[in-house]
Amino acid sequence: MAAPSTRALWGYCGRGWSRAMRGCRLPGLRSSWPGSPLGARLLSQEKRASETHFGFETVSEEEKGDKVYQVFESVAKKYDVMNDMMSLGIHRVWKDVLLWRMHPFPGTQLLDVAGGTGDIAFRFLNYIQAQHRRKQKRQLRTQQNLSWEEIAQKYQNEEDSLNGSHVVICDINKEMLKIGKKKACAQGYKTGLAWVLGDAEELPFDEDKFDVYTIAFGIRNVTHMDRALQEAHRVLKPGGRFLCLEFSQVDNPLVSKLYDLYSFQVIPVLGEVIAGNWKSYQYLVESIRKFPAQEEFKEMIEDAGFQKVTYESLSSGIVAIHSGFKL
Amino acid sequence: MVTLLRGTLRPLRLFRALPGPAADAPLRTASHGAGLLYPEHIPTSLLQKVLLTAGSAGMALYNPYRHDMVAVLGETTGCYALKILRDQMKRDPEGAQILQERPRISLSTLDLDKLQSLPEGSLGREYLRFLDVNRVSPDTRAPTRFVDDEELAYVIQRYREVHDMLHTLLGMPTNILGEIVVKWFEAVQTGLPMCILGALFGPIRLSVQQLQVLYSELVPWAVENGRRAPCVLNLYYERRWEQPLTALREELGITDPPMHIQP
Repeated sequence: MAAPSTRALWGYCGRGWSRAMRGCRLPGLRSSWPGSPLGARLLSQEKRASETHFGFETVSEEEKGDKVYQVFESVAKKYDVMNDMMSLGIHRVWKDVLLWRMHPFPGTQLLDVAGGTGDIAFRFLNYIQAQHRRKQKRQLRTQQNLSWEEIAQKYQNEEDSLNGSHVVICDINKEMLKIGKKKACAQGYKTGLAWVLGDAEELPFDEDKFDVYTIAFGIRNVTHMDRALQEAHRVLKPGGRFLCLEFSQVDNPLVSKLYDLYSFQVIPVLGEVIAGNWKSYQYLVESIRKFPAQEEFKEMIEDAGFQKVTYESLSSGIVAIHSGFKL
Repeated sequence: MVTLLRGTLRPLRLFRALPGPAADAPLRTASHGAGLLYPEHIPTSLLQKVLLTAGSAGMALYNPYRHDMVAVLGETTGCYALKILRDQMKRDPEGAQILQERPRISLSTLDLDKLQSLPEGSLGREYLRFLDVNRVSPDTRAPTRFVDDEELAYVIQRYREVHDMLHTLLGMPTNILGEIVVKWFEAVQTGLPMCILGALFGPIRLSVQQLQVLYSELVPWAVENGRRAPCVLNLYYERRWEQPLTALREELGITDPPMHIQP
């Protein structure tokens, strides 16, 4: 697998190089840079950088991965129900907007990271199929002098409605993938999708593979967001697009107050009553507050090598869609 | 009730959890570190308690298998009744000992072999038989989370763990009819709003025949015994394993149930 050595090299080039050194599993590399002028900075940053936030708690970086895994393992079964309850169904609109911004064309190769229960992937397939149907209709309308038999034949042609479009759903959590697969079967999605267990910080794919990379409500749970962004840059084809749908900072003070009230007072209660799980939903609302604001996240995306990075705030900034291109 | 009213009148207390966290986060409850009174404690504000009460009551009625919702309802509504119970326990010598020593009933603290070896008819043996016949375990009780006083949290935990003892004392199985009878007994004994609500609304899911039997014979019997018996939380059950069940029933004034209910 090409991933580890290229990631280590990437680490030196990108901003997070000191963290990459520590996290790198090839012991030889560290000792091969003894005279590094930045060696002093490495040591002084060591203590602070090994801790991170888990909601409002401070935990070590190794712990965070496990704790996040446990959170999603325990909420997997009620994940979709809780999303509907907590956002009063508005999360569906947000995800639809993400697809409209993506505007995929037939033949797009999509990688949906942290795609767990498949919401984005299913919407992608629906979009492509709807596009295909519209195209079919347009074609038929332009051909005015067809006989009934010819028209019936056109509709019968079970040509590949996806036309080569494909989505890979990658998630680190087995439970979430299980739920996603079940949903796919239940809703009748058979072709055009693949389910892969993988870590956003170290994707099991070669470089230059995908046209679009999406991560919806997943990147704030990643321990090292910079690594995830670098991986996104790596697996995208040149000209590929990075899209991130994530909770962000609210700009309107009144909405912010109401949002805070709702988040901290109501959401954990909902979690307890519906899913029997207070602490996971407390983590959810706290992790939202810990996530960087729109501008800061835009800068992080630019640091990973993306260009023409823009963002769009939805619902007064409760969520934001960030977009960047690998050029 | 008075404490609840006082709580609402104090400004900002509506959204802040007790004990109040730092001023920079008035709307955020501190669920880590310093704010905790006991390991499983989740500090909640008054608004959260109200929402939890409503939500857990609704969910418990909608899905009777959500025992954790009944437990949560008990914790959020019981602050007044728990104080009265605690004071009652303090006044009784055995109860005061329980409050001091804080015994817990769980599979790790019970000596199952010793209980098995006790003679037939003793409390310990009958309790073990009850656990086997009804296929329950004392470890399925969730820990207390939403009570904002450490001693009261223990009182409600003790109440939950003693619940199985009450089944044994009253001779009631763990099906819905048996549970309702025990709830009536507990409602009279403890005055916890959760018991009262459970006793009043539990029968919603019963058939007409069951309702008839319940209200004509079982409930009057349970209420009468509940009134007559001293507070059952004052009994140090762990020291009474060898006591014959019939002797214990006589001591508490509990008569035999008017009819035997199949488990």
